[in-house]
Amino acid sequence: MNGGTEGPLTGIRVIELCGPLGQLAGKLLADMGADVIKVEPPEGSSARTIGPFVKDVPGPNRSLNFWYHNTNKRSVVLDFERDGADRARLRALIGTADILLEDMAPGTMASLGLGHDDLARDHVALIHCALTPFGQDGPWAQYRVTDLVALAAGGPMRMNGYNEEDVPGAPPIRGHGDQGYNTACHFAAIGILVALFHRDRTGQGQFIDASMHEALSCTTEVGMPYWFYKRTNVIRQTSRHAAAHRTEPWYYPSRDGKGVLMFGIGRDNASWRKIKEWFQSEGFGLQFDEPRFDSAQARQPGRGSAEAAEIVEEARRFFAAHDAEFSYRGGQERGQSWGVVYSPEETMQDPHWHDRGFFVETTGEGIDAPALMPGAPYIFSATPWQLRRPAPRLGEHSHEILDALT
Amino acid sequence: MADLPLAGVRVCDLTWIIAGPTATRVLADFGADVIRVEHEQAVDAIRIGRPIVGDAPTLNNSGFFNYFNRNKKSILLNARHPDGMAILKRLIAQSDVVIENFSSGVLDSWGLGFAELKSIRPDIIYCSISGFGHSGRDQEFTTWGPTAQALSGLTFMSGLPGQPPAGWGFSYMDHTAGYYGAIAVLMALHHRNRTGEGQYIDISQVEAGIILTGPAVLDATVNGRSWRREGMPPGNRAWEPAIAPHNAYPCRGEDRWIALAATNDAEWQALVRAMDDPAWAESPRFGTNEGRLANQDELDAHIGDWTAACEEYELMALLQAAGVPAAACQHAGDRFERDPQLAARGWWSHLHHAELGDCEYDGITPRLMTTPGTLRSASPILGEHTREVLCELLGMSDQAIEEALAAGVLM
Repeated sequence: MNGGTEGPLTGIRVIELCGPLGQLAGKLLADMGADVIKVEPPEGSSARTIGPFVKDVPGPNRSLNFWYHNTNKRSVVLDFERDGADRARLRALIGTADILLEDMAPGTMASLGLGHDDLARDHVALIHCALTPFGQDGPWAQYRVTDLVALAAGGPMRMNGYNEEDVPGAPPIRGHGDQGYNTACHFAAIGILVALFHRDRTGQGQFIDASMHEALSCTTEVGMPYWFYKRTNVIRQTSRHAAAHRTEPWYYPSRDGKGVLMFGIGRDNASWRKIKEWFQSEGFGLQFDEPRFDSAQARQPGRGSAEAAEIVEEARRFFAAHDAEFSYRGGQERGQSWGVVYSPEETMQDPHWHDRGFFVETTGEGIDAPALMPGAPYIFSATPWQLRRPAPRLGEHSHEILDALT
Repeated sequence: MADLPLAGVRVCDLTWIIAGPTATRVLADFGADVIRVEHEQAVDAIRIGRPIVGDAPTLNNSGFFNYFNRNKKSILLNARHPDGMAILKRLIAQSDVVIENFSSGVLDSWGLGFAELKSIRPDIIYCSISGFGHSGRDQEFTTWGPTAQALSGLTFMSGLPGQPPAGWGFSYMDHTAGYYGAIAVLMALHHRNRTGEGQYIDISQVEAGIILTGPAVLDATVNGRSWRREGMPPGNRAWEPAIAPHNAYPCRGEDRWIALAATNDAEWQALVRAMDDPAWAESPRFGTNEGRLANQDELDAHIGDWTAACEEYELMALLQAAGVPAAACQHAGDRFERDPQLAARGWWSHLHHAELGDCEYDGITPRLMTTPGTLRSASPILGEHTREVLCELLGMSDQAIEEALAAGVLM
């Protein structure tokens, strides 16, 4: 842990009115030094009801989803949707803030007298980011989503899936981890920081209309270009990129029941020589010495040559006969950008991340010893990421925050 | 036109492929002056990336490149030539940000580590995006997007139980590492505004992926539960919160799908009404979320039988009107041609490109109401701005530029 230094957003106060959709955006700001005050209704943010829970016992302070996405924030309870006095307190609190981050349905804040026009009247420097599923206007603005539904509408989900012959009738597959919310939050954070830079120079705040649907719709890589230039929709494939045409497999089961991600084998002569020698030292690919394998062109799977097919088949046998870790490291040591398909917690077994201090300890209700979780997404030399406090208990900071208001 | 919010921020852009150019696309969209430094002998592979327009790649006819590099400039510079390196250093001196996504150690090997960059420009913000970061025992290892997705757990988390992973059908972690790059640079710019201090930012693409799996990691470290177990990953069914129904269901036509979920009993009842109260739905087995979760195979089969006869956009409208979260599972063409939301918000636009002609683009999000980002120019032709940058920004004379050209410095 870095000590004694401050994050780049130190001195910036954020009022966060967010559930599962927007909470990562608040975390990104809080983890870099902003004073993020999470305003929650008496029953708590809806994210507090999302499992898994500590020892599978639900409770407002036991959601691991909440723990992860609310580090470094403070929590104050205000019943601002029902109670006029609390609404006035929220308004006063926003008056002390630089940034308002909320993920309420379009129109909700305005119906409470807390629309941007109302707030900005006596607070021109306020940056108000409204993160919603589809944006503030348009025919779908009031549509309901979950992360699954958003990923379906936005396009990323349609890119993921299986070859028909591998899993007949399989639907497009949503990658887990609430990646729709995450991507929406990445763009919300970008918008807030761009607006902050503008405010640094001019003193002017502004309203930001952040749409998850738009964030996702520009996060499908080659999907849009193939439509723009070829009027083609790429087809999804098992464990690899969707493409205009079928491509060779990238996923190979390993001896230990895991899988290796392998692509690009034989692309250039230098790396091919190393791979060939390695495979042969293990008793595979003995035919690779034949001159027909000397041409990089012939070795390219996309060209459909017999040699390319043989290389892929030998690789499949090689990977099936070895542990995934062995193949991954052996490939990387020979200049191949191969990987292991780890389950999420298996990443912690790799000492490289511990060398970098990536996993950090957090605490909370119901555990006796601190637990590890992912830490900094970036290492800043002057203003480091820091875990100053774990996610707050519901209303943990109500007194100190409300006392400071009066 | 209002000033662009990042007007006046100059980025010396040494990035290539996708992750780095995604970061600089964001910065350029909001008005930063992004100058791609390119070299004919080591050209960005995406410049020949498909889809291309025409029969063969020309370095300037890739629609893929155009997608990630709009609003940027391009100069040709041979940094291996001492005069080229000298020009690069003059550009760095005029830049607020230097950003690259080479393998770890490459910029150091050019003699442009952070200490050197700082000596050229004391308040420089240097952002590096690499696979494994610039420290740790495996820092020499390399990634593409799919590698980072595999090593971070994201590939594993996408798939049907008992099947190989479906994974991500695109380089989600190239996009996302780029977004983290943009976020980091913007935070560093704010810090510099306040203090005058620049800094060095080290981003690992794999770490940025692991960041996106936090609750799953905590379930292991707190509850001792691995995702590698029977029934996991759960396909399109919910992990947490555990709710049912929650899936993608077939619709009329070939490869047409709708995603829908009922997050509580009220939404379930709304779904039942939308289905015209079928007899099967009256079973007490489906009366509670626990019951629906326990009988999910049967539940999904019934819903799928109903959706299979429906057109997905009509179904989406029907379900949303009833208060049920639902959406057509859209591909690129659907979003462009059928999605009324993106159309109503003016998401699509056009710009002219010298080789690609009239090009379509997606929009800029989020929308800053006072200082929105803008689409100003198509992606640059290789070296399109060499003369402009050298002359107008670096103050080189025509004669000096001609000499550099003749010496092979500007290639």
